[in-house]
Amino acid sequence: MPNTRTEAPGRRPTSYLLPLLQLSDSALPTGAFSHSFGLETFLERGVVHDEETFTAWLGQFIHTQLTYGDGLAIRLAMEARSTAELRDVDAMLVAQALPRQVREAGVKMGARMLHIASAILDSEELDQYREDVARGQCSGHPALAFALAGRTLHVPVPELLATYLFSTATSLTQNAIRGIPIGQDAGQRVLCRIHPEIAAATARIAGLGRRDFGAAAPGLEIAQMRHERQRARMFMS
Amino acid sequence: MNAALATGTRLPTGQLRLRVGQRGGRGIATSQYHQGALRVIRPHYLDASGQVAYTIVNPGGGYLGGDVYDIDVQVQEGARLLLTTQSATKVYRTPGEPAVQHMHVQLSPGASLEYVPDQLIAYRGASYRQETVVELAADSSLVMCDVVTPGWSPDGEPFRYHEVRIRNEIHRDGRLLALDNLLIRPGDPDAPLSGMLFLEDYSHLGAMLVVDPRVDADLVRDIEDVLGSLDPDGQLGVSLLNRPGFALRALSRSTDTLNTMLHAAVDVLRARWFGQQPLKLRKG
Repeated sequence: MPNTRTEAPGRRPTSYLLPLLQLSDSALPTGAFSHSFGLETFLERGVVHDEETFTAWLGQFIHTQLTYGDGLAIRLAMEARSTAELRDVDAMLVAQALPRQVREAGVKMGARMLHIASAILDSEELDQYREDVARGQCSGHPALAFALAGRTLHVPVPELLATYLFSTATSLTQNAIRGIPIGQDAGQRVLCRIHPEIAAATARIAGLGRRDFGAAAPGLEIAQMRHERQRARMFMS
Repeated sequence: MNAALATGTRLPTGQLRLRVGQRGGRGIATSQYHQGALRVIRPHYLDASGQVAYTIVNPGGGYLGGDVYDIDVQVQEGARLLLTTQSATKVYRTPGEPAVQHMHVQLSPGASLEYVPDQLIAYRGASYRQETVVELAADSSLVMCDVVTPGWSPDGEPFRYHEVRIRNEIHRDGRLLALDNLLIRPGDPDAPLSGMLFLEDYSHLGAMLVVDPRVDADLVRDIEDVLGSLDPDGQLGVSLLNRPGFALRALSRSTDTLNTMLHAAVDVLRARWFGQQPLKLRKG
């Protein structure tokens, strides 16, 4: 029987709160700590070098790749009415990731997220996605695995989106703390300053169309492509 | 009353349909149709390879807000088409609706298209959407280029266009292979970090998408090496696609730099795959 959305605000947390917190924890072993998604190229060039420049980078990353890629994928997956439509989202996610390392990061982190989500939740859709990935029919992507968890838990779309976006922002900030480096307190200040960007991105995603899917900022894509040949890397992307 | 008005649909501002087949060892249009502000001029053969070259002309001189251009290209089995433009495509201020170009390309087995248009020049307040859908077969060959530049004001400052979107959707044997969807918003000159992920403080963008069964990681590396020496800005990215093909992007401050780089890549592919000489487009 599916979980039902219940009694928030009340004496107990919503049925989805704890599993959602678990899946969005920055310590979730998806391998996010080894992917900078192009940030390392900006670090190497000295364009991102402190709290201020990283905040600007993170805000734009949220408003480009996270909004038009992962974010819109999650919304489309939440609206999907069939397995075929969910498989389309997987195909679109892999097709829009032109930089090879970003595509490979999606496949690796997707497999991990699927494995973890399946261990936490009882979901036919997650089982089906795992089977599709195992058979090579789908590639696997963390955003879609996360969305399937959201479908199982009946999480409202804005909350699911904000959670995913913020979780990604947190992972990237942890990477920036090590990579720039900046202090832990600076990292928390960045995350706090990013709250309105998460809210704005969540609202924007609600109004996007399928043609917006995968819209990419060229400077970011170039950085992600150039990372393939960067020497002395801390990160895999 | 014509049929389009009767059904309530507006005719595109310009419309072009071109079918190219192979006749007597060389490519030639087997049918063509144009309407409004788009047409092609008579074909050229730049060498003895049989590849036919058509040039698209926009007699209107530029794209305006709400304009819709519609291009449909089919290349039939074994034929090879080089498609270019007579001059730069200019997009002027588009209050209200953006200017839009839809292009549909169908490549039969063994067919090839090299699409090497002149640059797109976007003026102050311009919004432009270019949406291309390509359907090809496993052994078709596709090379397509784009250069996006700002228009320049009389005092030499680049105009700040609003937004340019270039979306290429590639289907290979009916399966989605690549969704190459570029979103370009020039940064605010007063806020140096505003364009960090878009153009930084560069003004010009070059992009190239190649799908061909002969592409592999070694070729991508070779292309990167050849173009690297032509790239003064260190803003060139090349990456292998999920299936045989690659995507390329470069930022610069000049159209010539980008054209030199893109043409060098085109020339590597022409030489390796078709034994052709470097591309020399005769434009007057």
